[in-house]
Formats: sequence, structure tokens, C-alpha cells
Amino acid sequence: MTTKPSHILEIKSLDVFYGDMHALKNIDMQIERNKVTAFIGPSGCGKSTFLRVFNRMNDYIQSYRMEGEVFMENQNIYGKSILVDELRKNIGMVFQKPNPFPKSIYENVVYGLKIQGIKDKKFLMERAEKSLKQSALWDEVKDDLNKSALALSGGQQQRLCIARALAVQPSVLLMDEPTSALDPISTAKVEELIHELKEKYSIVIVTHNMQQASRISDNTAFFYMGDLIEFGKTEEIFRNPKQERTQNYITGRFG
Amino acid sequence: MTQIEQEINELRKELLNMFLAVNNQLLKSEKALLEFDKDLAAEITNAEKRINSLELKIDRDCENILALFSPVAVDLRFVLSVYKITHELERIADIADGIANYVNNLNTPFPKQAIKEIQIKEMFAQTQAMMDNVIEAFEKEDTKIARRVFKQDELLNSINSNASTVIISNYEESSAESLFYLLSCVRKLERAGDLTKNIAEELIFSIESKVLKHRKNRK
Amino acid sequence: MTNSKKNRIKDRIFEYFGIASTFFGLVILVIFIGNILVDGLSRIDWDFMTSLPSRKAERAGIFTAWSGSLWILALTTLIAFPLGVSAGMYLEEYGKKTSLSSLLEVNISNLAGVPSIIYGLLGLEIFVRVFKMGNSILAGAFTLSLLVLPIIIVATRESIRAVPPSIRAASYGLGATKWQTIWHQVLPSSMGGILTGVILAISRAVGETAPLIVVGALAYVPFAPSSPMDEFTVMPIQIFNWVSRPQHGFTINAAAAIIILLIITFVMNGIAVYLRNKWEKKISW
Repeated sequence: MTTKPSHILEIKSLDVFYGDMHALKNIDMQIERNKVTAFIGPSGCGKSTFLRVFNRMNDYIQSYRMEGEVFMENQNIYGKSILVDELRKNIGMVFQKPNPFPKSIYENVVYGLKIQGIKDKKFLMERAEKSLKQSALWDEVKDDLNKSALALSGGQQQRLCIARALAVQPSVLLMDEPTSALDPISTAKVEELIHELKEKYSIVIVTHNMQQASRISDNTAFFYMGDLIEFGKTEEIFRNPKQERTQNYITGRFG
Repeated sequence: MTQIEQEINELRKELLNMFLAVNNQLLKSEKALLEFDKDLAAEITNAEKRINSLELKIDRDCENILALFSPVAVDLRFVLSVYKITHELERIADIADGIANYVNNLNTPFPKQAIKEIQIKEMFAQTQAMMDNVIEAFEKEDTKIARRVFKQDELLNSINSNASTVIISNYEESSAESLFYLLSCVRKLERAGDLTKNIAEELIFSIESKVLKHRKNRK
Repeated sequence: MTNSKKNRIKDRIFEYFGIASTFFGLVILVIFIGNILVDGLSRIDWDFMTSLPSRKAERAGIFTAWSGSLWILALTTLIAFPLGVSAGMYLEEYGKKTSLSSLLEVNISNLAGVPSIIYGLLGLEIFVRVFKMGNSILAGAFTLSLLVLPIIIVATRESIRAVPPSIRAASYGLGATKWQTIWHQVLPSSMGGILTGVILAISRAVGETAPLIVVGALAYVPFAPSSPMDEFTVMPIQIFNWVSRPQHGFTINAAAAIIILLIITFVMNGIAVYLRNKWEKKISW
């Protein structure tokens, strides 16, 4: 029997290019299981690109090229035998701007299951309820799941997108600046959610908001111009970073 | 310069002001005691109010920075250490004020023989030297200079432990009050030395992020 | 005069100019329609709708004409709709974005502006002669399909493009394949736009005259078509035919037929607008 590796995701010598542009340079990293890992850094430093490496969403960009290895549970996810849509059922994603489908709340949540061929209405309903409860939206929508998702507020829509991602029960949840389009109260709700979710899921979050990173993450990685400058426990990064560039960024000495 | 950098710089200036003001009080208290100058003593008591309001202002500024700017890392350590150093300085100023009070209350100056034997002049000098070191360490952000005070404090401790013996051997009924006051000044100055050591520890924490408190062996 | 006063005056001038232009267009339209109605409204009755054409104006009806139009309409839709939508979908979703494909895109739009008689000549050679369809409805339908295909392709591409990439990203992120994303998200969202484009294309086809004449629609067809291989005529041709006759009775017939044709056109546009509104309510980005 093989034992689970201590880290759910492992990156070795990763280089990413968009055409001639060297977007990520020689990244090595391990993502800890059932913890929240935050990526911080100024705009254009490559943190969103790096996030999308995990679920291979960069594959759609024509000029994208990558070297190096990315392992999930010891399997190279860029291997030839890997089916990308299978991978994404195990690694979910929540985007910066809430993007619910123009369908009902119910249809949104169960979409990921329906495309897997699951038709059992009872099963779908149970899973929908569970996911909506997990994303703290159930109480607000349970009376009318057939309402259009677009009629919800921004914060509710984002929680719906989280429920939608959770419904397929991935092991990893990738979040790309999930609260940057939300008001402070919705942001607080989503942060609380993330805190609860990490018991069952491994979460990787890209954020522009350093206080958010310091509030909710266990580990933090600081990127600058494609380089991974520092990676460590969040307390250490924010109390006593080892690199001067990290310190300059987190104290606001440069944007 | 970013806003937080400006605030930190302002705070630095204010703390330096307080350092210099308290240092001044100490200098004056030495002169007031040795020359039995009641006028100088009154000056010290007057200046005490200003020191207190400086402390309050610095407190408020630290709170503001914490509330508004959420400082992290080096900035956070700096603000926390300023907060503590301020309080330590206020207690040193209190010591100077206490000495000034003694001068005010006495009718006759301190016995010269006792003053010489109890080595209070040397104590003042050493305390002064320690203060100079921490002020320089603060200005230059140099922890090596700050570390000098630990050894310097040993002299204060040894003078302090001899003090009771000196008072007893010099005891005269007529000058009892001034002798007791003198002993008390020695104790106060020893305390001032301890407070200065605390300041040095805070500075080292802020600059190097090493917690030195409550450790028996120090460099 | 101050600047803001000048600006306010300019505002007013523009406002009045806009109103005047609108009225001008409306007035012309009202005069035209009014004229037609006055001339032809009385002629419209059940007989008119169900009679075959005849050399006597009072007995002539538009039965063959509008049934021919209906046949053409139905067949053209059947041919052009699936072809156009599939082609548009393929080009937009599966086509690689190279300079060749942008060249293709520009040229498809150009095709929509080619004079319709050219399509008629093309249809004559390919469908009537080479494919030996003869002067049949089928040949006419294929010819008109060629004509409206670019319109449908462009409408399909535009509608598909209007689907935000964030929706696709969300679908892929959940593990859907490309086809699943198209079928479940892209097509349903773009269907409103596609249908609008299709209906507008078809309503254009209903009004086409030149290509059908070239392909062989006759002016005088004394029987209603019963199969795609039959000879045929359509409303515009019938109108054209009647207008060129000297007898006054045929002028009235022509006016009446124009009214019917206008009704058909308005109804089709109405359906397009209705569908577009219905879809836009469902989907708001």
C-alpha cells in the first residue's frame, strides 16, 4: 500500500513562457495538504499564471509553453496519459469575477456532475444541498433553487461559484483573487468559508490583498517578476521575512 | 516616501525627542543633587509635565499607526518597541523627578563624606554613559552599541550592594534624613540602569528580531 | 455669446435635426404605405388569396405566388440554417486563429454584399444545369441558401463571440470537454442571436427577385407547386409581372400583393424582435 505523499501538489523546476516572455522562472514548491497556501506579489509577477498551471487552464493560450514537472499525488499532471477534463474534476477553480452560468441556481451547482453523466435526481439534489451548505449559501437560496443565478448579488454569486466547484468534490480548490470584486461583508463571509473548507480541501489562493493573505493562509509564497522570492509559514513571512524584497513588498515600500 | 514610512519617521523623531528630554532630566538631577541646587530641582519638576505629555502623544501615535496602517514585519516590531521604550523612559524621568523632590524637601545638603564614599557621582556617570549608548544605538540602529550597556550595568549593581554599608558607617542622627534620601537615590539609579538595559533589549528586538528578555546569560 | 450658450444651441439644432429626419423617413413610409393600402386593400379577399393567376385581372390570385414563396422559405431555411450555424460554430470554436482564418472571415462578410443576381447566375450553372435540378423550387432554394449563408454564418459567429470567455472558463474549470461546453453553455446562450440572424436572413430571401428569375422562376405559373422539383413563382416576381401589365386591374392586384408581402415581412421581423427580447431577458451578462 502506498502512503500518501505529505504534499498534495509538488512543482519541480517549473519554467513558463508566453512566446518569448519568460513568465515564471525555475519554480520549486510544495503545496501542503489541507492547508491554505497564498500567492502574493505585485501585478504581473506571474502568480495567476502559476495558479493556472495546476489545472492546466493555461493550455488554451496559444503562446503558452512550459518546462518542468508538476505532480499531484505523485502523478505528473502534464504526462501524456493524463486526461485534462479528469484532472479538472479533481482540481476545482473559482475565478476573480463571479461567473455563474445564465441558468438557475440548481442547474449551476449540478452542472459539474451532469457533465460526468450523473442523472440520478435524488443524488444531484443531495449533492447540491450539501455544496450550498458548505458555501454558506443554502439558507439564502433554499426556497427557490430555480431562480436565475444572475438575480443573486455579487457576493452570493461568488458563493454559488464556490458551491459549484465543491459539488464535484475536488481535492484541491484553486482561487484566483476570489474576493477582489466583492464588498467587505461578502469578503468576510468568503474568508470565513475558506477557513472552514480547509479541513476537507487543500486550497491555493492568489490575492492582491496582503491582509487577506495574512488572515487566512497557513503558508505564503511571494512572487516578483516571475521569480519565487520567498515561501514559508505565513507568521514568519509577515513577522520576520528572510528576504529584503519580501519585506519591502509587505510593508508597502513598493506596490 | 509612502505614508507609513512618513509615520514611522515621525515616530522615530518623537522618540528621539523623548530620549533627549529624559537624558536632560537625568543630567540636571545629578547637578541638583551634587550642588544642592533647589532652583534646578524646581526646573526638573516643571519639565516632568512635558515628559508625561510626550509619552501620551507617542502612545497615541503608536496606536494610530497600528489601527490605520496594519504594519507588518520590521514596521510592526519598531512600533511595538517604541511603545515599550516610551514607558521605560517615562520611569527614568520619574527617577530624576524623585531625586529632584528630595533636593526640594531637604533643608541641609547631603553629607559630603557619604556622597564621596557611596560613589553616587560614579553612578550618575555610568547611568549617563549607558543612556548615551542606547541613544546612539537608536539613532544608528546599531545593536552592537546597545549591547554595551549590559556590562556597564554591573558597576551600578556593585555600587548598589555596597550602599547600605556606607550609609550605616556614616550614620549620624543629625543627618539621618538626608542619608536615607541618599540611599534611596542609589536604589533609584540602580533601577534607572535596569530600565536602560530594558530599552537596549527592546532596540535589539526591533532591529534584529531576537527576544532577549528573561534570559539569564546575556552578552 | 458664451461657449455654453453656443453648446446649448448646437444641442437644440441637433435635436431638431434628428426629429426632422425621423419624421421625414416616417412621412415617406406613411405616404407609401397609405398609397398602397388605398390602392390594394379592397382587392384582398379569400378569392384573391386562393386563385391561380389568370389573364383577366379580376380573376387573378396570388395562390401560386405565396405558396411558392412558402415553399422557397421552408426549403431555404432547412438547407441554410443547419449549414450556416454549423459552419459558423466550426469557424468560431474550432478554427485556428491564423492570418488565413481572418482572411476567410473578411471574405465571408464580403459575400453577404455580393449582388444577388450573381448568386442567381451561379445557381443557374451549378444547380439547374450541372446538378440537373432544372427550374425547380429545389434549385431556387439552394441558390437562395448560398445567398443567405454568409448572413447566417456571420450572425452565428457574432453571437458565439458575445458569450463571455468567463463562462467557457467556468465550464472547462469544472472538467467539461469542448463539445460539452459548446452544447450546454455556448449554443444556448447564443441561440437568441443566431435565431435573430436566421430570421432576418430568411426574410431577406423572401423578398429576393433577381436570382430566382435567373434560376428560372416563371412569371406565369398556373398551378400551385406540390413537390420540390416543380416549377414555381414567388411573390416579388408575381408583383413585378403584374406591374408591367398595362391593364389597371393588374396595378390594383400588384398593390394588394405588395400589402401581403409587407405583412409577411413585418411578421417575420416581429418574430425576430420577439425572440431577441425573450432571449435577452433570460441571459443578461
